[in-house]
Amino acid sequence: MEGLLGQLGIDWKLLLSQVFNFAILLLVLRQFVYKPLLAVIKKRNAIIKEGLDKAAEADVRLHEVDSIAKGKLQKADNAALAMIKETENRAKTLEASLKLKAEQRQAELMAQITAAGERQKEEARQNVLKGASELIKKFIVKTVELKPELIDEALIEKAADFVKHEI
Amino acid sequence: MEAISLKAQELFTIGGFPFTNGFFMTLVVSALLIVFSFVMREKISLIPGKLQGALEMGMEWLLDVMHATLGSVQAAEKYFPLIATIFIFILCSNVLGIFPGVGSIHLGETPLFRSPAADLNFTLAFAIISVVMTNILGAFAVGILPHISKFINFKNPIKFFIGILEMVSELAKIISLSFRLFGNVFAGEVLLTIVAFLAPYFIPLPFLFLELFVGLIQAFLFAMLTLVSISLHTAVHEH
Repeated sequence: MEGLLGQLGIDWKLLLSQVFNFAILLLVLRQFVYKPLLAVIKKRNAIIKEGLDKAAEADVRLHEVDSIAKGKLQKADNAALAMIKETENRAKTLEASLKLKAEQRQAELMAQITAAGERQKEEARQNVLKGASELIKKFIVKTVELKPELIDEALIEKAADFVKHEI
Repeated sequence: MEAISLKAQELFTIGGFPFTNGFFMTLVVSALLIVFSFVMREKISLIPGKLQGALEMGMEWLLDVMHATLGSVQAAEKYFPLIATIFIFILCSNVLGIFPGVGSIHLGETPLFRSPAADLNFTLAFAIISVVMTNILGAFAVGILPHISKFINFKNPIKFFIGILEMVSELAKIISLSFRLFGNVFAGEVLLTIVAFLAPYFIPLPFLFLELFVGLIQAFLFAMLTLVSISLHTAVHEH
């Protein structure tokens, strides 16, 4: 066994120093290469992930804002429509009331005019009546002048009545 | 044609410690990697440069492979340093081992550099590290007693024999891992030496590419076998 190992050049001191050498190299590489590199990779991945997450969030927010804006627009639209409708209704009622008022006024005026007409007619009648009775009186006076005692008030009255009916 | 030596040759001896050319090369590779990691440490930033980008790509690829084998990201990150270091160290050793100057620059009679994996001490050390570490990690993951019960189990005769087989397989793993790597790299060295001796110009080029490829494959294989071993030992068996 010794001979075989010797022939192959195996020496426990060399073996040990190789192991020791490897251990040092392992520690150095772990400390100065693997760990920092892995940390950097992880950090970068985290940053990328954060960026993507934020982008996705921004997308969602954008959609939200969009829908909010749409809703607000819809609301404003509805409000405007309602306002227009209300104004229309008010205009209609106003129109109706104005119409009613105008009609009333017209009726009033008509009534007034009619009344005035009636009055005038009545006055004219009275005047005619008055004139007629005077005329009859004069006429009768003329006719009776020859015999004034014949003047009969009752007769005049009768004539006047006749005239009244005639007009 | 120069003599091909199966074992790494001694450059000099310090207090009974045989300082071989293979070991010297290991130190050179380690030093380069350590210097590289110090340089890299200063350069690491959130916005990667080309070098960092390439490293991260390799790292994420290996993490993906480990994740697929071990089944969880946490486990992959936990065992990553061991697997990655095995892979990187062996790969750099193999690649640097076919650089010009390795085997041709001499210090006295012996070549100054020798591909580290062409020295059985190097491969055996890695195999021992692999097997010991996988057992230690396994013991940490499933508990010391359950881990030992994989090898020594008196519950029933079948489990007892399986335990013995497991023990043998762990020992066999050390031998197979170390000799596979050693054999491949040493054979490559021999091949390159012979080809270079027979036809020094142009002809060795495809063989150099072949050795580059073999070096990559062997490094990957070593790391993957260790990874599989870890995944076997850290898996919690339910009975």
